[in-house]
Amino acid sequence: MTAPAVPPPHAPTRPAPAALVNEPPVIIGDDTTGRSRAANRWRRMRWPLTVLGVIALLVLFLAVVRQPTSAESYAPDNPESDGAMAVAEVLEDQGVQITHVTSVADAVAAAGPDSTLLVTPNPAFFAEDQISSLSRTGADLVVLNPDYSMIGAVTRNTVDSMYSELSGPVQPQCDDPAARAAGALELGPGLYDTSTNGDAVRPVLCWPDGMGAFAYARLDFPDRSVTVVSDPAVIRNDSVLDEGNAALALWMLGQHEDLVWLVPNPMDVSTGDDEPTPAERGQVNPQMPPGSAPVALVAVLAAVLLALWRVRRMGPLVVEDLPVLVRSAEATRGRARLYRAARASGHAAAGLRAAAADRIASRLGLARSSDANTVVDAVVAATNRPPQQVADLLYGPPPADDAALAELARRLDFLESEVYRP
Amino acid sequence: MVVTWRAAALMGLGVVPVLLLPANGTVLVWAAVVVLVCLVDVALAASPRRVAVQRRVPASVRLRSEATSELVVRNASGRRLRGVIRDAWGPSAGAGPGRGNGQRARPASGGSGRHHVDLPDGEAARLPTTLVPTRRGDRAAGGVTIRSLGPLGLAGRQVTLPVPGRLRVLPEFASRKHLPSRLARLREMDGRAAVQIRGEGTEFDSLREYVVGDDVRSIDWRATARRREVVVRTWRPERDRRVLIVLDTGRTAAARVGAADSTGAPRLDASIEAALLLAALAGHAGDRVELVAFDRTVRSRVVGAAGPRLMPAMAESLATVEPVLLETDWPGVVTQVRTRMTQRALVVLLTTLDPAAVENGLLPVVDQLARDHTVVVASVADEEVAGLRAGRETVAEVYDAAAAARGDLERTAVTTMLRRYGADVVEALPDDLAPRLADEYLALKAAGRL
Repeated sequence: MTAPAVPPPHAPTRPAPAALVNEPPVIIGDDTTGRSRAANRWRRMRWPLTVLGVIALLVLFLAVVRQPTSAESYAPDNPESDGAMAVAEVLEDQGVQITHVTSVADAVAAAGPDSTLLVTPNPAFFAEDQISSLSRTGADLVVLNPDYSMIGAVTRNTVDSMYSELSGPVQPQCDDPAARAAGALELGPGLYDTSTNGDAVRPVLCWPDGMGAFAYARLDFPDRSVTVVSDPAVIRNDSVLDEGNAALALWMLGQHEDLVWLVPNPMDVSTGDDEPTPAERGQVNPQMPPGSAPVALVAVLAAVLLALWRVRRMGPLVVEDLPVLVRSAEATRGRARLYRAARASGHAAAGLRAAAADRIASRLGLARSSDANTVVDAVVAATNRPPQQVADLLYGPPPADDAALAELARRLDFLESEVYRP
Repeated sequence: MVVTWRAAALMGLGVVPVLLLPANGTVLVWAAVVVLVCLVDVALAASPRRVAVQRRVPASVRLRSEATSELVVRNASGRRLRGVIRDAWGPSAGAGPGRGNGQRARPASGGSGRHHVDLPDGEAARLPTTLVPTRRGDRAAGGVTIRSLGPLGLAGRQVTLPVPGRLRVLPEFASRKHLPSRLARLREMDGRAAVQIRGEGTEFDSLREYVVGDDVRSIDWRATARRREVVVRTWRPERDRRVLIVLDTGRTAAARVGAADSTGAPRLDASIEAALLLAALAGHAGDRVELVAFDRTVRSRVVGAAGPRLMPAMAESLATVEPVLLETDWPGVVTQVRTRMTQRALVVLLTTLDPAAVENGLLPVVDQLARDHTVVVASVADEEVAGLRAGRETVAEVYDAAAAARGDLERTAVTTMLRRYGADVVEALPDDLAPRLADEYLALKAAGRL
């Protein structure tokens, strides 16, 4: 008789699978229209858009209500005590157009004849070519607390600065309209006269401290004037109302309709009259060739499109329940770690010995309930080992440490291999 | 709306006009041109919402064998449909890359089940995807995503359609390779085998003429005296006995067993293999096989299926059985067995000999079962623990071996207890459990203990 065919769990001889009998449905579209999709999108985006709108409205409101201010020292839009908004507001009320600039290049571009160029103290230093650009504009120059190289350059070495101390209000004691208008005031004197008879234009110095230092110096060159004040407190909000500071500031800065207000930026290296900047020549930085900036922009846009291409997934992920991933052996491993952490070498040895004795007993045909002596006798008979050694091995004292435990495990294996009879 | 690499390449081509006219304005104009061309391309693309899609999937497939999910796509959009269609399946469905189907559909890269299509208006194409499922159970398909690109291939539209599809993955039944040898043994027992040995078993079958080689002890002298020739009695194993397989789907069935370097498989899968082999064998032996998958409630049941309908019913009902992270309700199992089996039966409990779980669950109730029925407790051992048992290299491995030895001792104690209560115990590694359980069944049958 022939062996019958082994049937798989589903018999292959079954009639056509159910799927082909019950024709699956044909799906066209996802039951949405352009309108329903837009509505859906709007419903999803409603709250984020509302929040963004409220924030935008708030920002707009604040921008309208609050004038833009800065925290930059001596800036015309800084209302803090180290700002100069007070003087700037009064000047604007009097019809002076203030141009607030932060780079030498912008200052040079904005200043010209019939305008005043104010240079507030520089936190860093001006470079040589920046100073020469600033003095070549043709505008009347007002310099507050200039550094060493600046003062020498703008006054053609007729005035120098030095350190000196404030010593109470003093009268101007000079012949200068601004000084006469301002009268007595209290400014740090730090200027002294180094001009000689050979100089074409000699400075007018005012508000001496009695030791050869002055707070104010003015030079009238044929085409323009240069005014140097050693103490910038003259325009600062917190001190502009002291003594005659306000009068002096307004007199100095209100000479012309246009006032260019330069608040130097320590990072600024522009000079206003050199080559166009890298940005103007379309460079990413001076090392790159001209025109590299637009090319980089093209590359960035192309990269954005590449990102859009890669980021769009081909449909959503398909989810499925995952099975349990716990291994059955973890319980055994955990118990082994507990033994080891507790240094329970005696307990571990007892387990190894009992299991070995159990296997040996079953190989020698002993009953599971046999006592120790029976097992030892049977092993001695099977292996010709000394009885004491076998008894020690199977029922001896627990090992003292891990090394002894490993040794015991090896010796038990050896004993078992001797007992084994094929 | 989607863009392709071609849109990025077109944007990159903007380098040429920018080099001729290096200004940011040139870049903006070029970007505007690219956006405009992409929008026109999208507007000219076929609408993916006007494509008819049908998914044809076979009802069921055996684990680790091949099935084909076929999309039938008909372009009713009024325009030529160019683009990619994805037949999405979960990771366990084992979807391969799209197989392609001639000119109209080619396999697409980027993931499983993707097809490039180029369909003129009104035409249809079949898009086959090979599935090799790696997990038993119902594998539900995801949606069908259609990405329709414009004539320039720069940009397009994409939509995911909810096309239903489900593939039932039946147990692998790898243990069926053991079936022929066990069936041969069954036939020997039946006395029908080619070898001339007396049929084992205890049920009197018939009388027949003596032939050389028959056991002389089986000669029926009374019948021989009535006739001229020598007559022997033949026996056959009992038939129409009841076999109830109880599959424990509680928390211990969820743990993974297998070699330490493999991901292993849930214990339940090995139990199912054993159940299938036993059912096939018992079905051939003429016994009535029933199956209950139980943890705290009945998860699956096969009742009253016999002959050719038995194995399909078993596979179908075992396909969706999953382990539940609950403690098995053993008194409930006893109740189930009592209500199902009124006469003596072979009750096979496919569970785990986890000492703590057995002491609290199975042990108190096994004597109630063993009083009325023949009980076999079959348990899946863990290959990894077997590996731990032999470790001697480092101190840590010796401790592992000690822990494994301690576990063995506890299991031996539990086994002894179970045997004392009258249950037979079969414990084997996953691959060995099915043949060992089949052998146990044959032994019980031969001994007439069913």
